[in-house]
Amino acid sequence: MRWYRLLGIVVFLDLFLVVLGGAYAQKVTVTIQDYFDPAGGMAKFVDRWAEEYMKKNPDVEVKHVYIPFAQLLPTILQQALTGTLPEVVMADNPWVPNLIKAGVYLDITDKVKEWGWENWEDFFKGHRDLTSADGRVYSFQVTTNNLALFYRKSLLEKAGIAEPPKTWAELKEVSAKIKEALGIYGFGFCATASEEGTWQFEPFLWSNGGSLLELDQKEAIEALSFLVEMVEKGYTPRDVVNVSGQGDVTQWFINGEVAMMENGNWEFGWHLTPDVLEQLGDVGVAALPVPKEGVKPIVPFGGECYGIGAGTKDPKKLAVAWEFLSFIASTDGMLAANLEHGGLPTRASAAEKIAAQKPILAPFLEQARYALPRPLVGGLEKYPDVSSTVWTAIQRALTGMKTPEEALKEAAEAIRGLFSPEEYEAYRKQARELLAAAAQ
Amino acid sequence: MKGTKVAYFFLLPALLYVLLFGLYPLLYNVSLSLRDVTFITYIQGTARFVGLGNYRELFANPIFQRTFSNTLLFTGLSILFQFTIGFLLALLFNRSFPLKGVLQSLIMVPWVLPIIVSGSFFRWFFSDNGMLNGFLLAFRLIERPIPWITSGHLPIFSVTMANIWLGIPFNFVLLYTGLQGIPEELLESAEIDGATGWQKVLFIITPLLRPVILATLTLGCIFTVKVFDLVWIITQGGPGDVSHLFSTLSYSLAFNKLHFGKASAVLIVMVLVVALLTALLNLFQREV
Repeated sequence: MRWYRLLGIVVFLDLFLVVLGGAYAQKVTVTIQDYFDPAGGMAKFVDRWAEEYMKKNPDVEVKHVYIPFAQLLPTILQQALTGTLPEVVMADNPWVPNLIKAGVYLDITDKVKEWGWENWEDFFKGHRDLTSADGRVYSFQVTTNNLALFYRKSLLEKAGIAEPPKTWAELKEVSAKIKEALGIYGFGFCATASEEGTWQFEPFLWSNGGSLLELDQKEAIEALSFLVEMVEKGYTPRDVVNVSGQGDVTQWFINGEVAMMENGNWEFGWHLTPDVLEQLGDVGVAALPVPKEGVKPIVPFGGECYGIGAGTKDPKKLAVAWEFLSFIASTDGMLAANLEHGGLPTRASAAEKIAAQKPILAPFLEQARYALPRPLVGGLEKYPDVSSTVWTAIQRALTGMKTPEEALKEAAEAIRGLFSPEEYEAYRKQARELLAAAAQ
Repeated sequence: MKGTKVAYFFLLPALLYVLLFGLYPLLYNVSLSLRDVTFITYIQGTARFVGLGNYRELFANPIFQRTFSNTLLFTGLSILFQFTIGFLLALLFNRSFPLKGVLQSLIMVPWVLPIIVSGSFFRWFFSDNGMLNGFLLAFRLIERPIPWITSGHLPIFSVTMANIWLGIPFNFVLLYTGLQGIPEELLESAEIDGATGWQKVLFIITPLLRPVILATLTLGCIFTVKVFDLVWIITQGGPGDVSHLFSTLSYSLAFNKLHFGKASAVLIVMVLVVALLTALLNLFQREV
């Protein structure tokens, strides 16, 4: 006699689940996908936004999905092929032109106009150039970083130097004194077989008036020859070609094996955390040395961009995605996010505010105003190809396999071969225009 | 008859597995290697069919030629030394001596260590200011650091040395196990007939070990041609591109340059080289 009672319970539970499920199904799910370390500041910032948004909008579920750096590009590729792109797609900035061209991002120009065009114009030019194409806006860069000169004041003092070097000649001179007085290396940089190698060379190349697309010119040869000389004279360890990344150079710097290094502001959130800085007690930051006095240091910028996935049609989901985007791209949102993340804002208004709170970032913030987007001065969607040709040439020259002239001449030829003559001419001109604008 | 049908049914999971995770990816790889696949053409589905164009370009490219000879050099030297050292160690451990057990487990250390650990160690060991140069300098064997992994010609030999160190335990274990299977009486009677140590090795042990030796060499070849992590951690195929193997070149073509088509072509060449080497070794086995 019990069986029908049991049946009753089962039917009731079933109905209950159906009702619940129905309510659940009405919930709109919006996914934010990025590679920020889940324990890091930026991820926590996004998590907090999602939580608060869900509290105010119980019918919306915001998912924040972490994909490791190495997996993100293959994942986006797969999602784009199968039409399963998330609503909010994050990407490292050099990928953005490729993603725009491949149609991964939704055109958000009209939304931006509604929001207020002055917000868009507040972004530094390099970031606007990168995240738009043919006058249409596709994503926002929300955080950036670039390269400057880190130095150990006490080591410099021991060698009788009061001020960090401002020019290449001074960098050489200071390194020579440090080598003589302390027997350590003066200057460390990163020349690995990866984008990091090319990116650390670019400030030397660009500040000297060279271009990635004209490597056989004398400006480029001078820049590479300078770095080769630093290695040959023993001012820079030859191991720079084999470090596993820029973080390794910071380790040398912390250990006192190099007195100065070229590195980025993210190190303040990674190896040079407040406790380490306090322990060392003598870390200073200055603009990167330039070929000669009166020239601006032109650096590439790094950082990440958020945009809306091309498949997002549902107006409700679109609204949530835009809500997120316009918050993290607003002056206050961007400021808070970067304070927590340890990055630099990409908008003038937010940069001003962060400079007041973190004076050590001053050289980075100054350079950020005119820092250049790598793909736009390096063959756009062919930038990965250009970059790998460049780091190969750098490594050949630094290890003495080729002279800087030979290595760069070969690289220049290989890079020309990547494009049709018209394409090449167009990209070369574009690079020249952007480089000239930055140098002013 | 019914029995066979059931047997096939039981084969099904394995067969499905091989088809799904073995054959399908391989065929897909072949199809990628015949097309002009880059990031954009892949997403837009506009990759052109280029026939053997990717292969033709590769074989004309000096970097690929160098990678080809690097891989052969790397494999040849690795197998030669790993096998010889492993064999000698196996012979040594085939007799009893004090502390044998401890030493035997010490020999296994390279095999137990994760490659990320041994790779990072070797990157530092071979660096200009690393352990090897420090040692040689301290004993006045050299005057200035040798650029083991920071020059044009040495890096491929340096990573080969690292790989030899890594592969000795594998060869040792297989050959040692094989040695245990050789009946004691055979060796004893040879001794009574007046055979010296080396004669025993040459005329009794080696012929009897032949199947084990061939299996060891075959597996060694397959493993060595495919090595990726060790070289990637130590040199990333650099400096420049002087220490690329097929695997590292393919990775850097795919994920640095986004040329998926060419990267696949490199992998197909690698598979063919492995198949060829294995076939050659099998030929030996048949001749017995």
